[in-house]
Amino acid sequence: MKHYLKHVLILSSLVPLLYAGVSAAAEKGSALKNDSLRSEPFADAKVTGSFTRGENLEIIKKQGAWLQVKAAKGSGWVRLLSVKRGAASTSNQAAGVLAVASGRAGTGQVISTTGVRGLSEQELKAAKFNEEEVKTLEGYTLSADKGRAFAKAGKLNSIAFKNLKEAKGGTQ
Amino acid sequence: MKANLRMISITSAHKRRLISILLASALGLASLQSTAFDFKGALKDAVEKEIGQKSDSPAAPSEATSSSESAKANSTTASSEAAFNWKNPSTTEEISLGREIAGNLLGAAPLVKDAALQKYVNSVGRWVASQSERPELPWRFGVIESEDLNAFAAPGGYIMLTKGLYRKLQNEAQLAGVLGHEIAHVVKKHQLKVLQKQQLLSMGAGLLSDKYAKDNALISKAIGSGAEISARSLDKSAEYEADRLGLSYATRAGYEPYGLAEVLQTLGQSSSSDANVALLFKTHPHPDERLTALSESVGSQLDKITGKTLENRFYVLK
Repeated sequence: MKHYLKHVLILSSLVPLLYAGVSAAAEKGSALKNDSLRSEPFADAKVTGSFTRGENLEIIKKQGAWLQVKAAKGSGWVRLLSVKRGAASTSNQAAGVLAVASGRAGTGQVISTTGVRGLSEQELKAAKFNEEEVKTLEGYTLSADKGRAFAKAGKLNSIAFKNLKEAKGGTQ
Repeated sequence: MKANLRMISITSAHKRRLISILLASALGLASLQSTAFDFKGALKDAVEKEIGQKSDSPAAPSEATSSSESAKANSTTASSEAAFNWKNPSTTEEISLGREIAGNLLGAAPLVKDAALQKYVNSVGRWVASQSERPELPWRFGVIESEDLNAFAAPGGYIMLTKGLYRKLQNEAQLAGVLGHEIAHVVKKHQLKVLQKQQLLSMGAGLLSDKYAKDNALISKAIGSGAEISARSLDKSAEYEADRLGLSYATRAGYEPYGLAEVLQTLGQSSSSDANVALLFKTHPHPDERLTALSESVGSQLDKITGKTLENRFYVLK
């Protein structure tokens, strides 16, 4: 019970901090291309509308690789990567808060971390080389042929696709 | 030394600060701080040129090669201290460096004792790596005992992801996307270049000649204590590049291309106050920023691509 209360306290103090400025208005986005809106977050779900490249959208909800959006011609679900999320300021704001929370603000470089559980920097620093584990890891190494056989078993076919390039003008 | 560091931290750019600190520790002389600035700039340019990060640098450093002296210098080293060519490491050297880092990381978090899991991850990883520009490396993959959400790559093809992150995955396409990102770090030698730069700088002015670049610096000396190197941040641009390439490799492998984007979406919903994403959030741009960058690069290039997600054969953790 005590633990629970502590949790609530932490949550109630952190949430407003993290979402201030973001939750005030629905998140804005813009269409990266022409696409259809669907009734559910599945590629074969019924089409409920569409939008055109450059159109302003309102992002209602996120789920997996899908976004539920409101467009001029209807609303529905669309692939995550069809939409550029937010005005540049929104993501920067989020990043700013994040940076403060992680102690990164101002310096651009992490110097120390405190009270972090899990695979912390301290733990990593204190780590000692483990020969046995590396050998075990290396023992799992597969040949390219084994990889190909695995792909074939899953009916995976390699396709021609050029490496993505950095978007012109860089990221916002 | 502490005061020293604080003084240096006034300089603006991250990179420059890191280099200053490294340089300061290499020289070990506080009094040099005020006069070392121009020297530092020149040194940085030279190092970047040496390791091929700056192709357009007009001034070519004079090559004062002297292999006999190099041999003489090396002859004094103990047998365990193998010479390491920091200026232009061979693939074998790259792998031995990666092995050291991977071993240290495994010292912090051992492999999950589940051979079927490890075999599955190696199968997926090997197939994705075969779509990269360095298919000939001996790629190895491991899931490590940690509830953190993170993945690591070390030079030469050592890739590890945490059990916590694996647990968040829902299908093979997502695993392929995550492994693709790490494979890209190795292909592009992101970590290796950071280490090279650091090491060449710590050798000081001698970097301009081969005899120092091939000096007897120990690998362990270069990567510092433990596996802290694994927690070090790369440039943001390196992370964005790894996202683009990771998606590309997984797509070429026949997977549904959105796997990595889905994982980033999941990570973006974690609160930054969660301890298990603290290190990830600290060392990477925010997932939302990464998704935006990825969207912009993708444009309409994925419109006609369908791939497999293969959730049916996705190995579920016991």
